[in-house]
Amino acid sequence: MKSENRTGSPDERESLSRRSFLKGAGGAAAGSMFARGIAEAEQVAEAEPEQADAPTLEGNLEVTLQINGEDRVVQVEPRTTLLSALRHRLDPALTGAKQVCDNGNCGACTVMFDGRPVYSCMQLACLSEGKQITTVEGLGSPDAMSDVQAAFCEKDALMCGFCTPGFVVASTACLDRYSDADLDTIREQLAGNLCRCGTYPHIFEALESVRESRRAAGAMPEKTEEGQ
Amino acid sequence: MKVLNTDIKRVDGPDKVTGRAVYTHDVRLPGMVYARLVLHHTPRALVESIDVSAANEVPGVVATGVLHSEGEVLAYLGDDSALAWVAAETPEAAIEGARAVRRTLTDLQPTLVTPKQSQLPGAPQVSSRGNTSGESDDGNREQVLAAIEGADHRLEAEYELPIQHHVCLETHGHVVDYDGERATIYASTQAVSSLAGEFTRLLDLPADRVRILTPVMGGGFGSKFGAGLEGAVVATIAKQLVRPVHLMLDRPQEFQMAGNRSGSKATARAGCNAEGRMVGLDLEVNRYGGMGAGSFPKPPYIYAPEQTSSVLRSVHTALDSNRAMRAPGHPQSSFVTESIVDELAAKAGVDSVAFRKLNLDDEVWHRHLDAVAEKIGWAQHPNRTGPGTPDADGLAEGIGFGLATWRASGRPGYSAEVRISPDGSVTSSTAVQDLGTGSRTYVAAIVAEELGLTVADVTPRVGDSDLPPSIGSGGSITTGSMAPVIQVAAFEARRALENRLSEQLGQEPDSFVFADGKVTAPGIELTFREACAMLGSQPVTGQGKFKADLLGGGGRLHGAQAARVRVDTLTGRVELLHMAAIQDQGIPLNRLALRSQINGGMIGALSYGMLEERVMDPDLGLLLTHSMDNYKVAGTMEMPRMDVILDDDDPRHGVVGMAEAPAIPGHAAISNAIFNACGARLRSVPFTPDRVLAALAEKV
Repeated sequence: MKSENRTGSPDERESLSRRSFLKGAGGAAAGSMFARGIAEAEQVAEAEPEQADAPTLEGNLEVTLQINGEDRVVQVEPRTTLLSALRHRLDPALTGAKQVCDNGNCGACTVMFDGRPVYSCMQLACLSEGKQITTVEGLGSPDAMSDVQAAFCEKDALMCGFCTPGFVVASTACLDRYSDADLDTIREQLAGNLCRCGTYPHIFEALESVRESRRAAGAMPEKTEEGQ
Repeated sequence: MKVLNTDIKRVDGPDKVTGRAVYTHDVRLPGMVYARLVLHHTPRALVESIDVSAANEVPGVVATGVLHSEGEVLAYLGDDSALAWVAAETPEAAIEGARAVRRTLTDLQPTLVTPKQSQLPGAPQVSSRGNTSGESDDGNREQVLAAIEGADHRLEAEYELPIQHHVCLETHGHVVDYDGERATIYASTQAVSSLAGEFTRLLDLPADRVRILTPVMGGGFGSKFGAGLEGAVVATIAKQLVRPVHLMLDRPQEFQMAGNRSGSKATARAGCNAEGRMVGLDLEVNRYGGMGAGSFPKPPYIYAPEQTSSVLRSVHTALDSNRAMRAPGHPQSSFVTESIVDELAAKAGVDSVAFRKLNLDDEVWHRHLDAVAEKIGWAQHPNRTGPGTPDADGLAEGIGFGLATWRASGRPGYSAEVRISPDGSVTSSTAVQDLGTGSRTYVAAIVAEELGLTVADVTPRVGDSDLPPSIGSGGSITTGSMAPVIQVAAFEARRALENRLSEQLGQEPDSFVFADGKVTAPGIELTFREACAMLGSQPVTGQGKFKADLLGGGGRLHGAQAARVRVDTLTGRVELLHMAAIQDQGIPLNRLALRSQINGGMIGALSYGMLEERVMDPDLGLLLTHSMDNYKVAGTMEMPRMDVILDDDDPRHGVVGMAEAPAIPGHAAISNAIFNACGARLRSVPFTPDRVLAALAEKV
């Protein structure tokens, strides 16, 4: 952070190794790197192989993140998580994704990468370039809610609301991928999100009602079987 | 009623589901700094040095401060562990600065983090009041023990409950915007009005220059009534920097210093006659509230044995004080009491529902037991008078019960204002906070009912200490205190409008009817907006004050819950299949929110019963369950089928809060269901596989 220079071209950053990254970012990032949650397993699998001569990032970096369909240029440090970039670096900030555990345990910070749910507290902002990032704000607005958001209101699938953005994103991803999701699928797909007020039964009702109304409308997205 | 006692969607739902609701955590102000506490991680320690010089060199760090001086002894694990603070331009720099604070402390032995340690002869004193305090001694113990001795069936058992955490998803903290003359404090609080007084003192400002804003908040569950140490520190930093300061605890800090439900140990003796009538109950209870007193209602609890005696005391440890948490003390008492009742029923070979009724003197609980028994399928269940046996795969299903209670009350002293404007807009204002309970929604809905409007026609203004003062939200008292006040304010505003209409239209003020968005009187029909337009340029307002007769007589709340479980007797794993709850609540304001609240209570209790436990390392004094990784709370995979019954036969015509009651008996019902399935009596919470297997081994 001493220098303002941005080290490493985008190409070089693509090939960042974990070791060289840790060397540059110090303990703060090491903690979160090693505390990856289960949902991160696939991200680990995608990690770049170690390279002895990989570059080191330091200082402030300018990255371009594609958030809710817009290119957003944002200054981050190598250690800045995507969650922190959304909440603290963007101006105006996107504070829908919540920082609750900052440890990959609770899902309150869930956003989508190319339509797939990820914990934004477990992603580094500088490695999030090139992904289509969707936050809860990108799914709808109070005057134009998505069907999932409207169903959450209809079924009272929220109380204090702090877990709600994460659940809305995870629920959206669940129903987009499993258009005929039964209760077991819903429970499994939302198992990475925690609520403390106890809204789960109404969340289940909300998802079932969206599934039924999409089915009735014949507007089901194609069921996809690819991937994990 | 057209609006109330229906399913009302919460009015802040759209903001919450789209990420637009701005919680304290989310407040971003120009020039704001992020502050962070630095905590020591063992309970008792001698401070040798705290050096912030390296922290001050960290780029982005704006200021630091030290909270304990050399030679001081930290007394307990909790807010006394706060050594220093760091304020920085970014959260990342604050973390780095906190790591750079050099501190040297000598940890003291024994750690005194367990009751066993603090009760050893010669143990150091946790505090000046000693390691035990607050002992009560009730009933004629000698006589009660004699009655139990002479009973047909006798029980002697020990029950233990762990310390549970609130785990509010929004951690504790504030954003203080102080400009040297006045301050706006964004607070994640359960008590907007009283917090203003606290910050008035902390910032040394006149009361009219301090404003608390809590438009939404991310859970409190009893732990967020005061400014706390984090509030005192943020005030200090704000005064020093005269910049907006954001100080929220992080998750491990939240586990260390933001409150808990006290643990307990109870030694019970009880007896019943051959028919199942309880002749005596004697309890000796240790409350484990750390530096605090702990909480455990005195017996008899709900049930009415012929005689009761008890000794209760606080056994202190060098841990942070317990705080109020969802029906303080009751889930502990419920587990002990319902277990005793269930154990005696099995000993007597009496149907456990029938046994309960025999020992309950309040008929409402009889009715409630019948309702949940029917929902859960008790009549068709094979083992109603004793436990079953596992099938060939080692699986066994069982059903258990538990009862709930709370006081139905409200308190005077708070107010609300309803304003009707010439353009037809209506606002309903009171400082009351909405913890997710739905208070914002009824602040509008009660007024809509009174004025014949829809909820959308009324703008609720809440969560602001500049509005008419409200009670803090604890003990299910908010609704009972505020609903009558809001109703009176709406009535007064309507009267004021009627008086103005009557002047202009020549009708008696009493002749106006407000319904379906219209104002009618003989020969007159106006839309509500047309009627308001007749106000000219002046709005009318109504002030609400408490009227006890709108409370419906108060008294006691009742509830019953039942659980059906499947126990894998080979692995000790318990699967929750089904839970059912019934709850009375006077006149329901919002049936949808009530069902949410009752689900929430059941889920809180099932999480407590199945998963939650604070674990300390007794030798090192370290808190081992300091994250949501190792302190488990229930998620979607733990959810059973859940049925909620609202008791519409409650004859009380008044509005009361009821949120505590359904949080009380769920874990007790689950424990009894485990026993009913396979004979494993769980006398220690949570019901983890190791405990289930140990209980099964004990049975053999």
